[in-house]
Amino acid sequence: MTSHSQYGIAAATLVILALPFLLAGNRFLGFVLGMTLISLLWATGMNLLSGFVGLMPLMFAGIAGIAGYAMVYFTRTAGWSFWLAMPVASLLAAIIGVALGLPALRLKGFYFTLCSLVIQSVLTLAFIFFPKFTNGDTGINEIAPPDWFGGTALTGVRFDFALAVAAVAGILFSTWLTQTHLGKKFVAVREDDVLAESIGIDVVRTRITAFFIVSLYAGIGGCFYSAYVGFISPRAFDVLVSLNIWLFVTFGGRGTILGPIIGTAILAPIPFLLQDLQAFKDILSGTLIILVTLLMPGGIYGAWLKLLSRKRGREVQTTQVREQGV
Amino acid sequence: MSDSSLLIVLSTLSTGLIMGAIFSLVAAGVTIVYGCVWLPNASNGQFFLLAALVVWTFTLSFGWSSLAASLAVIVLGVLLAVVLELVLIRRLYNAPNRNVAYFVVTLGLTQILSGIFSLTYAKWSDQFSVPPVIEGITMLGPFPISNNRLLAMVVSLGVLGLLFALLRYHPYGRALRAVFQNREAAALRGVNVRAIYRLSFVLGSTIIFLGGILFAFAYSFDLSVAWTMSITAFAIMIVGGPGSVLGALVVGMTFGFTQAIVSIFASPTVAMFSYLGAMLIMLLFQPNGLFKR
Repeated sequence: MTSHSQYGIAAATLVILALPFLLAGNRFLGFVLGMTLISLLWATGMNLLSGFVGLMPLMFAGIAGIAGYAMVYFTRTAGWSFWLAMPVASLLAAIIGVALGLPALRLKGFYFTLCSLVIQSVLTLAFIFFPKFTNGDTGINEIAPPDWFGGTALTGVRFDFALAVAAVAGILFSTWLTQTHLGKKFVAVREDDVLAESIGIDVVRTRITAFFIVSLYAGIGGCFYSAYVGFISPRAFDVLVSLNIWLFVTFGGRGTILGPIIGTAILAPIPFLLQDLQAFKDILSGTLIILVTLLMPGGIYGAWLKLLSRKRGREVQTTQVREQGV
Repeated sequence: MSDSSLLIVLSTLSTGLIMGAIFSLVAAGVTIVYGCVWLPNASNGQFFLLAALVVWTFTLSFGWSSLAASLAVIVLGVLLAVVLELVLIRRLYNAPNRNVAYFVVTLGLTQILSGIFSLTYAKWSDQFSVPPVIEGITMLGPFPISNNRLLAMVVSLGVLGLLFALLRYHPYGRALRAVFQNREAAALRGVNVRAIYRLSFVLGSTIIFLGGILFAFAYSFDLSVAWTMSITAFAIMIVGGPGSVLGALVVGMTFGFTQAIVSIFASPTVAMFSYLGAMLIMLLFQPNGLFKR
């Protein structure tokens, strides 16, 4: 990690923590910020798998959905506090996610992506066809916001700030993780899994570990999403959501910490600001997916790093994805 | 056997045959593109739906005859495939890990097409049906089956037969199979690999469009058929073996009958679960499929 990206992360962290208060006057912008922060947490998590380990997990939203529905079940039916239900639901979702993904994690490249798409489709169908927990296609509404000290509820700016803290914690954790020995194993597995295996790295186990951590990110984000929006339905956790988060990561620059932050900051607010043009959202994001894949596989931040290194005449950072594909 | 149970058996048989024929056709289109170009076309369901919807427009809004509408859709489909190949597909021919890149690009294409459909057709109607090509019914014992659906089945099986013949006997088909087997060796023997890529993408897409046209004439449909068909075609491709038209035919027919049988007891969604399960098992234990090419 170069010093300039450390400064970048520090600056981004400060901006994220300050934004809820800067936008406190306008409830609409506050809501857009809150949704962007949840996406940021998700994007940071997905980046660990899609950027550092090199697998494209299309079942990401499904795992977030499991956690969201479980959280609602625990708080409503069992009467738990949100702050107990959230970690339990996220852990549950991560365990289910790993159990579902276990066979798929032996595959790589396209076959993993296809398998994850299948798992996502099964989860979406399950959300629709087990209305006992999910209320089917109608969805669950009026989900209570998290409880807070003194019997009050966590709402408004305070909730936005809580999301900012969660996003920053997610970013700092993934920054730390990618510096550790495990993080270096991730990159080794992505670059050449056969070579990694030959120098004694257990490739499948490394992938499973990464997938568990990523599922935790998905789950925590899913719980916050459910409590923040107050309404969930199978459509909130379908494959398009996974694809969107993947787009945030790749547009910004996967395999870097700052990339997903930049990508999410630019793309996540767009659907809310489109207002009446909502229907164009799919067309826009589809077009962006194609353009990014064809023209800018390293994303915005990747292109910037390349420019920078060309100026200084040295090689591109090693953690950055160099080739096309995932 | 009582009359009513005979009726059920015959109805299952005919639905299975017709659905299976259309499934096989679409899966054959998907499988030759994946087998040859390594392009897993995630937007095959949207292509299928696009053809069906345009047929609906041409016959109902423009009042064209079934034949004219079908021919127009095929011509437009070929044009669309050529343009897509020119603008998108050929840029990735030499990319490393290109199947993932293709998958992502076609997922983007899927999103664009479904966005366009929800802006246009979704506002016009929620159920689409096209007037039949031919009237009348044939009696299979006590069971009536519409000539129209029989025609759809015969045409799809006929096209599959032509495809078989093309791949086996025509020089183009042989070159296509050579590229399936070994890209470098084929290039060494003087096969123009890029031209074969282009040909197989256009051919495969056209077959998918044709499947959509036949489906539009045989059944009434809604916009959700795109996703169902996409998953089903992928499942057939993986189970049957990528690149194998025979695999697409056998597995497609099997899935068609599965759908017909399951629909008697439960919703077709349960059949969907079984396709996905079959695909997962295949991916885990034999990623090359049942009919290795």
